[in-house]
Amino acid sequence: MSLRCLLSDELSNIAMQVRKLVGTKHPLLDTARGFVYDSRNNLQMRGLVVLLISKAAGPSTAELSFQHNMVSGIYSSQRSLAEITELIHTAFLVHRGIVNIGELKSCDGPLKDMQFGNKMAVLSGDFLLANACTSLAQLQNTKVVELISSAIGDLVQGIYYENSKSSEENCLTDDIGISTWKEQVFLSHSALLAKSCQAAMELAKHSAEIQDMAFQYGKHMSMSHKLHSDLQPFVKESSSDTVAFSLNSAPAVLHQEFLGREAWIKQIKEAQGKGNIMDYKKLQEAIKAGKGVTSAIDLCRCHGSRALAALERFPPSEARAALANIVYAVTRFP
Amino acid sequence: MSHLCSCSKTASDEKYQDPFQLGRKDLKNLYEDIKKELLVSTVELKEMCDYYFDGKGKAFRPMIVVLMARACNIHHNNSREVQASQRSVAIIAEMIHTASLVHDDVIDDANSRRGKMTVNQIWGERKAVLAGDFILSAASLALARIGNTTIISVLTQVIEDLVRGEFLQLGSKENENERFAHYLEKTFKKTASLIANSCKAVSILGCPDPKVHEIAYQYGKNVGIAFQLIDDVLDFTSCADHLGKPAAADLKLGLATGPVLFACRQFPEMNAMIMRRFSKPGDVERARKYVLQSDGVQQTTYLAQRYCHEATREISKLRPSPEREALIQLTEMVLMRDK
Repeated sequence: MSLRCLLSDELSNIAMQVRKLVGTKHPLLDTARGFVYDSRNNLQMRGLVVLLISKAAGPSTAELSFQHNMVSGIYSSQRSLAEITELIHTAFLVHRGIVNIGELKSCDGPLKDMQFGNKMAVLSGDFLLANACTSLAQLQNTKVVELISSAIGDLVQGIYYENSKSSEENCLTDDIGISTWKEQVFLSHSALLAKSCQAAMELAKHSAEIQDMAFQYGKHMSMSHKLHSDLQPFVKESSSDTVAFSLNSAPAVLHQEFLGREAWIKQIKEAQGKGNIMDYKKLQEAIKAGKGVTSAIDLCRCHGSRALAALERFPPSEARAALANIVYAVTRFP
Repeated sequence: MSHLCSCSKTASDEKYQDPFQLGRKDLKNLYEDIKKELLVSTVELKEMCDYYFDGKGKAFRPMIVVLMARACNIHHNNSREVQASQRSVAIIAEMIHTASLVHDDVIDDANSRRGKMTVNQIWGERKAVLAGDFILSAASLALARIGNTTIISVLTQVIEDLVRGEFLQLGSKENENERFAHYLEKTFKKTASLIANSCKAVSILGCPDPKVHEIAYQYGKNVGIAFQLIDDVLDFTSCADHLGKPAAADLKLGLATGPVLFACRQFPEMNAMIMRRFSKPGDVERARKYVLQSDGVQQTTYLAQRYCHEATREISKLRPSPEREALIQLTEMVLMRDK
């Protein structure tokens, strides 16, 4: 599956311009690097899931005349939707990399480099989104346009919450419980995939029930994926340097819920020590000593089960097995 | 400014009315309705999205859309009512326009618009970009709810054109002849496409005749180009306070607009400045002086007149109505505006 528009003139123009950013500190450079080299093979995962679920659901049970344009068990419209999902996901990866000009320090380098980087980031993100909109329109299905548009709205709100957790204040962590955390993560990490899966079913005119099952799979699998990702710093056995982790990641949020906010803030302050530099190892130990990690693992597995339960409604097939394997992968811990 | 249409008036003697009065009823709650489409749970993000929908903008685009809707409805079956879907198009067009403004301000690092600070100036670039994205997604959602795939395609074209227009602005042409074509293409994509396609959309909703759709499209396209040409003129002739945004903004952004391109014919020394996008100290001031010494402003204005003439010629093909007259009058208002 290729992103056709990536071969366009506009993006090669951008690519040439982005080269000027080499040597600067603009985040767009990292994002661009990530497209070429991604160690966790996460490239185009969403698109892949949309294709698999399309295949797993099989041909439309609606009128036989509908069964055209099907290649390898997937309708061309569903293929297009998979691409659209990736376009949107990528657009927001790029838009996440904008910097606030007003917060720049001299160590960030020349102002004009950052302004230039921002310009490129806005333009390329917009370009990808515009392509997604055009492709959506070509699907000639208003319900799908509705679904995906609302998913974009969800994604924006989710990213907005991510941003709000700024390190400006002394307090590096939000006072949120796990249920709020789940709502916000649904928006930023699940909504797009969940609604795309549902939309793929709509394109093949599957029943409302199948659409819902696809949605549930997308939703719960993404939640598991996020939890799995958040848990990595806490479950790895390595004795090498502790990597910094987000204080708003699942284990930390759960830990706070169990411990109470005051005690948690106290632990953070203790870990910050005199120089105000965070001793992540110390904080990690504190979290591991509590119930946060095991809770997060349970939650991850719980979402995993729900994803698998949704899959049960699809007939057995290689595609369905592949989707189940994805769930096993994101719920596996050493 | 002579009236350019030679249409006959109906027996009932349509009165000369202010276009904005005609459309006022339909647009009365436009901004309130737009805000209702922006369903956001976070207070701050809502504030950002609502920021430009304060009712203080010109509402020029929605006005055209609503008048065109009526003109087409009347042409088809004498109905003066605006359909709900046509009104939605006006809302959607204004939302798409605003979303692009929010992003443009980040791209241009602008700090004022319409006499107040820009979204990026107040809340920072990161959030501004998100707000623009949200408004666009809300527009797309409203578009889908109209339930018409043709309309979705027509208005989605605008979204694509807006982005391509920005890209066109990034590049520049060496050849003088190419420059003008490039400028007009950019002008179409960045400004006229929205007006042309929203006019076309309401005409499709109001009338089945493809000839009418073409008339609506051509009117919108020509008025849109004229509008931008005058905007480019005002950047040279008006002062900052009156405009609501800094003047000579285009030059400062390295953009060579109509007046500059015309001036360059008289003052070839401007070529070098154009090629380096007015980046050397003193370039902006020098270029400005050249333009004001040349006939660049007059030439651009004359060109705008011709586009307005064309718009009028097109719209005159529709059945006479107060709305049709208002649209003709609007072309003159485009030429006469000072901000």
